[in-house]
Amino acid sequence: MKEVVVISGKGGTGKTVITSALAYALGQDCVLADCDVDAADMHLIFKPQTQIAEDFYSGEEPEIDAEKCIQCSLCVQKCRFNAIKMAESAIEFDPFACEGCGFCSYICPQGAITMKPRYTGKSFQSEIRTGTTMVHARLLPGGENSGKLVAHTKKVAHKLAEEKNVPYILVDGSPGIGCPVISSLSGANYVLLVTEATQSAFHDLKRVYELIQKFRIPAGCVINKHDLNPALTTNIEDFLHEMDVPLLAKIPYDETVLKAVKSGQAINEFAPKPYAEIIDKIKHRIF
Amino acid sequence: MKIAITALEGNSNAKMDARFGRAKFFVIYDQDTKEWSSISNEAAEAAHGAGPLAVQTLADAGVKIVITGNGPGGNAARGLQTAGINVFLNKDDITVQEALDKYLKNELISF
Repeated sequence: MKEVVVISGKGGTGKTVITSALAYALGQDCVLADCDVDAADMHLIFKPQTQIAEDFYSGEEPEIDAEKCIQCSLCVQKCRFNAIKMAESAIEFDPFACEGCGFCSYICPQGAITMKPRYTGKSFQSEIRTGTTMVHARLLPGGENSGKLVAHTKKVAHKLAEEKNVPYILVDGSPGIGCPVISSLSGANYVLLVTEATQSAFHDLKRVYELIQKFRIPAGCVINKHDLNPALTTNIEDFLHEMDVPLLAKIPYDETVLKAVKSGQAINEFAPKPYAEIIDKIKHRIF
Repeated sequence: MKIAITALEGNSNAKMDARFGRAKFFVIYDQDTKEWSSISNEAAEAAHGAGPLAVQTLADAGVKIVITGNGPGGNAARGLQTAGINVFLNKDDITVQEALDKYLKNELISF
């Protein structure tokens, strides 16, 4: 089983467009995992039919036992996030302000505050029209993606791939280089870097490259919208050459991509010419 | 010296877990007593900061070498360095015992 993770550093480079196109090309040969949970959008392309939905808990939040609470307001004074308020007849906490640090529970002289796992969203296993399963999640307002949720999503994808004997796991990673990205990379066999011809994307490409180099995972790169800035594309190509990262494809800026996204289709599904061939070429270099 | 291996289960026949911070178990071999032990990794369930928390667990257990899959992230790597724990990487899908054998034969790459 081979796990391929697609990341970009900067958001908006076309990471999900490329991932969904690869998933479309792979069909039943991959289990698809959307680990970009803060801004999940793969479901817009694949309109998943949910088979299994599970509650997901991450971090903690206080539960105040009104019977034990004597309203001494120590927690109100000491909470550095101002997440606990003295309401008319009881202490109330604000879930959006609470960081889940547990200090209120630690200092409460009455033992009236217990920390409970925080319900942050739902995790799904769904069928999609390419004949495979997509593992994805949806967060509640204020919920944030975490290494834990990414690890969970990937674990479910691995289990499904093993059960159904599917050779590949394709993971849409999150932007940045933080906790969720590190979690996305854990266990990956190959990283596809999607970048674009802008200064910020090139800057972030170098940052994510540093990360995967430390992890010693083989990588390849796609330069999307390469004709936006041909001089910068040359610089990116030089960088890739220097780092010994194969350039898998250069894709020009094309409004057809926007039309495909708006119609809820993968680019190679919406416009087989020229995208079926471009995506197949990338696919054969990776899988 | 104690050598920890990230693993999916808590014994020496278990498959290695490629993850460091959220590895399910640390299976530990003590070179002095030639005995195996294991720790269930509480950091696996942490929302954030799993890497540094896992480092603390290993440091408390007196581990000096850790063998894992893809290598720890930045925060965990700094923690391991401070704790004086050396990291070795194994990319293959093998068991804990096999990973230890490879380490003892100097076949693993240093992180």
